[in-house]
Amino acid sequence: MSKNTLYGIFDDEEVLLASVKEIRANNIEIEEVFSPFPVHGLDKALGLKETRMAIMAFIYGCLGLSLGALMIYNIMIVDWPQNIGGKPSFTFYHNMPAFVPILFECTVLFAAHLMSITYLIKCGLFPGGTSDSPDERTTDDKFLMVINVDGDTSSVKAMLTKTGATEINEKDA
Amino acid sequence: MTKAKKYWKGLADLNNDPIVEKLRQNEFVEEIPVDEFLGDNDLSSTSTSRRDFLKFLGFSTAAATLAACETPINKAIPYVIKPEEITPGVANYYATTMYDGHDYASVLVKTREGRPIKIDANKSATNARIQASVLSLYDSSRLKNPMKGEVDTDWNTVDAEIISKLNEIKNSGGKIAILSSTIISPSTTQLIADFSAAYGNVVHVQMDAVSYSGMLDANEASFGVRALPTYNFDKAAVIVSFGADFLGNWLNVDYAKQYVTARNPNSGKMAKHYQVESALSLTGSNADDRIQIKPSEQAGLLSNLYSALNGGTADSRIAKMANDLANNAGKSIVVCNSNDAEVQILVNAINNTLGNYENTLSLSTPSYLKQGNDRDVAALIEEMNAGKITALITYNVNPFYTLQNADGYNAGLEKVELTIATSLYNDESAAKMMYACPDNHYLESWGDANPSNGLYTLMQPTISPLFKGRQFQESLMNWMGKSDYHTYLQNTYSSIDWNKSVHDGYFTQSQAASTVNSFAAAVPSFDLAKADGIEFEMSEKISMGDGTQSNNPWLQELPDPLSRACWDNYLTMSAATARDLGITNWNVSNGALNGNMVNITVNGTTLNNVPVMIQPGQAVGTIAMAVGYGRTAAGKCGDGIGFNAFALGNGIATLEVIGGEYEFAATQLHHTMMGREIVKETTLADFIKDPHAGNHQVTYATHKGQQPADKVTLWDEFDHSTGHFWNMSIDLTSCIGCAACVVSCHAENNVPVVGKEEVRKSRDMHWLRIDRYFSSDMTKELSAEEKISAITMYTEMEDPSENPETVFQPVMCQHCNHAPCETVCPVAATSHGNEGQNHMAYNRCVGTRYCANNCPYKVRRFNWFQYSDNDKFDFNMNDDHGKMVLNPDVVVRSRGVIEKCSMCIQKIQEIKLDAKKAGKRVRDEDAQTACSSACPTNAIVFGDVNDDTHKIQTLKKDTRAYKLLEHLNTDPSVFYQTKIRNKA
Amino acid sequence: MHKESEIRDPLILGNKTYHDISKDIARPVEGKANKYWWILFSLSLVLFLWGVACMAYTIGTGIGAWGLNKTVNWAWDITNFVWWIGIGHAGTLISAVLLLFRQKWRMSINRSAEAMTIFAVAQAALFPLIHMGRPWLAYYVFPIPNQFGSLWVNFNSPLLWDVFAISTYFSVSVVFWYIGLIPDFAMIRDRMSATISPMKKQLYSFLSFGWSGKAKHWQRFEEVSLVLAGLATPLVFSVHSIVSMDFATSIVPGWHTTIFPPYFVLGALFSGFAMVETLLIIMRKVVSLESYITIKHIEYMNVIILLTGSLVGTAYITELFMSWYSGVEFEQYAFLNRATGPYWWAYAIMMTCNVLTPQLYWFKSIRTSFVATFVLSIFINIGMWFERFVIIVTSLHRDYLPSAWSMFSPTFIDIGIFLGTIGFFFTLFLLYSRTFPVIAQAELKSILKSSGSEYKNKK
Repeated sequence: MSKNTLYGIFDDEEVLLASVKEIRANNIEIEEVFSPFPVHGLDKALGLKETRMAIMAFIYGCLGLSLGALMIYNIMIVDWPQNIGGKPSFTFYHNMPAFVPILFECTVLFAAHLMSITYLIKCGLFPGGTSDSPDERTTDDKFLMVINVDGDTSSVKAMLTKTGATEINEKDA
Repeated sequence: MTKAKKYWKGLADLNNDPIVEKLRQNEFVEEIPVDEFLGDNDLSSTSTSRRDFLKFLGFSTAAATLAACETPINKAIPYVIKPEEITPGVANYYATTMYDGHDYASVLVKTREGRPIKIDANKSATNARIQASVLSLYDSSRLKNPMKGEVDTDWNTVDAEIISKLNEIKNSGGKIAILSSTIISPSTTQLIADFSAAYGNVVHVQMDAVSYSGMLDANEASFGVRALPTYNFDKAAVIVSFGADFLGNWLNVDYAKQYVTARNPNSGKMAKHYQVESALSLTGSNADDRIQIKPSEQAGLLSNLYSALNGGTADSRIAKMANDLANNAGKSIVVCNSNDAEVQILVNAINNTLGNYENTLSLSTPSYLKQGNDRDVAALIEEMNAGKITALITYNVNPFYTLQNADGYNAGLEKVELTIATSLYNDESAAKMMYACPDNHYLESWGDANPSNGLYTLMQPTISPLFKGRQFQESLMNWMGKSDYHTYLQNTYSSIDWNKSVHDGYFTQSQAASTVNSFAAAVPSFDLAKADGIEFEMSEKISMGDGTQSNNPWLQELPDPLSRACWDNYLTMSAATARDLGITNWNVSNGALNGNMVNITVNGTTLNNVPVMIQPGQAVGTIAMAVGYGRTAAGKCGDGIGFNAFALGNGIATLEVIGGEYEFAATQLHHTMMGREIVKETTLADFIKDPHAGNHQVTYATHKGQQPADKVTLWDEFDHSTGHFWNMSIDLTSCIGCAACVVSCHAENNVPVVGKEEVRKSRDMHWLRIDRYFSSDMTKELSAEEKISAITMYTEMEDPSENPETVFQPVMCQHCNHAPCETVCPVAATSHGNEGQNHMAYNRCVGTRYCANNCPYKVRRFNWFQYSDNDKFDFNMNDDHGKMVLNPDVVVRSRGVIEKCSMCIQKIQEIKLDAKKAGKRVRDEDAQTACSSACPTNAIVFGDVNDDTHKIQTLKKDTRAYKLLEHLNTDPSVFYQTKIRNKA
Repeated sequence: MHKESEIRDPLILGNKTYHDISKDIARPVEGKANKYWWILFSLSLVLFLWGVACMAYTIGTGIGAWGLNKTVNWAWDITNFVWWIGIGHAGTLISAVLLLFRQKWRMSINRSAEAMTIFAVAQAALFPLIHMGRPWLAYYVFPIPNQFGSLWVNFNSPLLWDVFAISTYFSVSVVFWYIGLIPDFAMIRDRMSATISPMKKQLYSFLSFGWSGKAKHWQRFEEVSLVLAGLATPLVFSVHSIVSMDFATSIVPGWHTTIFPPYFVLGALFSGFAMVETLLIIMRKVVSLESYITIKHIEYMNVIILLTGSLVGTAYITELFMSWYSGVEFEQYAFLNRATGPYWWAYAIMMTCNVLTPQLYWFKSIRTSFVATFVLSIFINIGMWFERFVIIVTSLHRDYLPSAWSMFSPTFIDIGIFLGTIGFFFTLFLLYSRTFPVIAQAELKSILKSSGSEYKNKK
């Protein structure tokens, strides 16, 4: 029983989308789809889970806020409270209004940067990383569907052609 | 004969191996192939590849850099034998006497590690020049060693030659003249007497740069006493001054104190002060009633006043004055600046009719501060020209500069065989003499003074002479073959406790009171006539005086209290006169003040390209210019500044307007208060009716009803009720604007001098400035009545009146307890101390200048450049001698940091530590800032408001007390007392 | 799939296919620069170097090299700072706010607008640094433990707020920008042939982080862009509000105004869009992108300028009214002095350029003309510079105590530094236009179907 990989290449995202639906309807598992730009609805069609980036961002934001507050509290109230322009440095809450802007900035700083870093890590993107796209044209104008088939590929090929793949390559595992 | 032993350096040497010789010949055994690897004649063949070259380059650069990284070494050399009275870090104070021929004061000198660094008042008050005199000590432009003509030489040669010459003259019966400033030192007078005894035919002539000869002659004529009266302004109820600037430069520094004693609104008694003058003087700016006249009218008005007092009718301008005088006979003073004996006799007559003598002024206990005699000087010059004088010794005078017409003097000088100058500087006159003998600065000398009848003050050296100087008295003794003036001085006062008197700096001793005859002189009468044409009058600046200290950068940069300009003198002229002549002043794009120029001719002398400053208060048709400028041999910073007004003399001036552009350096460019409540003022009458007059507190409408500004706050206050809480009160009624505090602050806090160009760019560094505001004809009330638009109102408010009311307001850091500057500093370089000061951490400051922008009082100063050790700012901080005046307790600020008044925190810390050591509480009289201690009128009072015994507490509660820009609720620790004028 | 009504004009002209888009975007990177580019580049480089010299001189001798004095302690330095920061804001607004509002037309311009943001903020950041008396101690403004003991920064100070706001803004903008760049770098990478230009290929594969366009990545990509946009939007407003608080929280009459935050933000967008127009109108010529940056885009921006401009005008009037209504003589004088005092001319320039010029955009003919837009955008840039000059200098030079009143005039160093930053800015931008994908092509492709002219014609 040999294991083969099929690359179906499409020219148009609408055709691709239709094809994806069709193929998955036939319980053929699609390994991966490469596209030059985000094709809306593709993730649903492929049955990908919702990403949790936003939730992470929120958590990071809270982290930033609390760390910022901690820093300011320590510096202005605990470590070396001073009489600055007669503004009360007795308690954090007394002096709080002056701290709002920086607290906000800390929140955004942490949320934005940590989220981006998470994104890069999750996608395995890093300076000098290499693309694992089987076909360079997928960043230009081609849409590529990867299907792993056990044994006979003809039926799948047929389906790909039927659903509008302009070109099909096969690679033996 | 012994043979030099020879030691072998080894067998090779013993065997005379040639290698030994070879080694002896060349240090490097193998030739170092310099040419080979760096030879530039044939690069292609050098063994050095480009890479090698770069390596060498890299290495040498790195090496050079590393070498440069080495930190500079500052040598601190300990005492080999420590003088017992000196403890490093602890100041010693010595009482001494300041006298330079122009100013006299009994002072206290602060020395650190044997260096005098600060002058404070002792028996008498001080003024700006006296405060600054400590810097003149360290003037590296002083005459450093004896000179014969142009060449430097040494004392032995000079003494030998002089003595031999003097003896020749003595034998040939020649005449020796000693030309000196007024000598107030009894021992010196004695010494001169001895000298004349020794050399027979000796004449001693005294001259004052600014002459009081007329007054002396008048007193001689009227009372047979050739001296000046001592005045007691404090006893007067009416003070009338005809041009006499007795609060500024006239006679004696102590009058200011007496003046404010006579004018204390809280006691309800305030002497009425009339000033009749042409040029606006410091005194005039303080007067309740200032009458503008032309100098030619002075005599006429005086004689009109005299007749009025004897039943005649007074001129409308002085009717009120005459009336007040008549009602206050015996409780009034009339003074006059005229140098005309006739006029002064008239003044004497007036005071006599009013019975003021021995009440408010006294001739029986006269003042000896000025004894110069113009007639003697004239006579001497004649004799010199007639060749009757064979030797001339000058002391402390600069006739070539101060005489109105020096040509006669110079011509005469040619005919004198032996001319000797004893002087601090190789100045205009000294340079013309055969011998220039360096005198000692008063801080290097022994001496005594007898300023007024019965009072003696002593002068003691506070540092050993910096240069090869020798004080005049010592020289004189030397030339008599004697020595040791110190003993001579002591012997002069055998009867007193010497050490105590030196310690105190003064002693009193009954002195033969001069016999005053009853007034016996023909009272001259002048008719009231005004000379047509523009009249010129010499004036005197508080900063420069007669120009003796014109090489003193502190004084050069001290802004004139009235024009607020420094580094200059100029013709002052009223706006009206300027308009007629088509002369203007204007501000250029960076705000700096420019003015047109004229050629002025007075008494045949012409000065070219003299700038004109439009000065409110200057009488129409008159102009004035300060003396003391236009020096040519004063030193690096005094030379070539301004013009010599001595050369002109008073009289009718002919002006040739040449326009042009002259660049002034003024520290204040805007002259009116723009209708704002900055200096609050009221009249005595209103003040007596309502103690709060002119000082109604700002209130805000809150949910609790109307609240004063300082009650309206968002925050819980910091608690200042315990420990020290330093406050400062400044009484605007007693502040006369004399600027002694400014120089004092300069000296105490190492404030840099920045020079004319920088001042012109509004970058003066004064921590303490004295704002001067003139009243304007346009007021809010007027515009309200006449429905004048806001724009027109504000535009017209910018112009001061022709004869304005003047107010002075010292402004330093207000040490706000809600300081706007502290809040905005990103690095917390400025924050509040728990004793109420606003601190400044120089080494934390990064120089964003946000604090300076946010300071409503604009008292913060930025170091735009490196002001010390910088040849571009070649003043005392760039001079090895000048640096010795720096206060070791105050850091010299580096470039790029903000600085400002610290309330002399170094002084406060010192007294706190002393009190702690002594185990006592801080005594309020010890707590002084540089400005408060220098203030001759005690307008500035500093102290701890938590100290119940301190008068600052009552001052803070006073009805006159107010805070500057109170409505901002910056809650300053400095507060002011309203200005009160004694007028209807 | 985007759907769009037919009546909307196409945003992409000249019947482009996906491949054409790739070609066009990659062209500037692959091809040689034309002569306009070289002229502009050398010009800006010269200016830049001149500026560097002036800065070096200032740091060498002291801030005294500028025209400042004891009364006017800030002038051109902070004016330039606020001006540049303001310009930066349009970029973030276009990419973030317009993204949130799903404005498709942003896609051809957001990349360059963001680039402009980053370069402008870089210029802005220079000034707080060099305006310090002792710039070598600039690290004092960061809350770092130090050998001096408990010596910390002051969190009450608006200047410190600036430090945080600007560093956050700058870094977040860079990240936002780069996340969007990755797929486009990948596109260029894949077009590069390893044989002809191996170096370039390596470079771009390094920059593209190994992007391959997987479906999951695209999903995350879109989410991240959206969230970053969501964060950048309040950020951009906060930054200029904080900058305005440098003035608003002070007590200087003319600075102490609660209207400043919104007023400054509007001004920023106003000037920012003007600068975007200036740049894009140049760029579409220099790197020939006429079919992507169309008159439509310009018109949309002009509409925004008209809006913000009018709001800014309203703010000016409000300020005047409030100063009169406050009844505080210091406030009243401050504004009277602005309009009628020694600096009336600066006020006049500000009013004409910022209040009158944008009103011309009511006319469609002007709104839809490249030439007119270019000229007016320059006017607005000048006007907004003067706005900051007026606010800073005319408020400071006559504040509370007349005794301290003075004036300000710039030295050639002041001017040199300002020109220098302009040179620096254009140098960076021109380099960018030759090495970066100047349009977010991936996003653009996704709207080709809905907004491309060809497809529109099909329907």
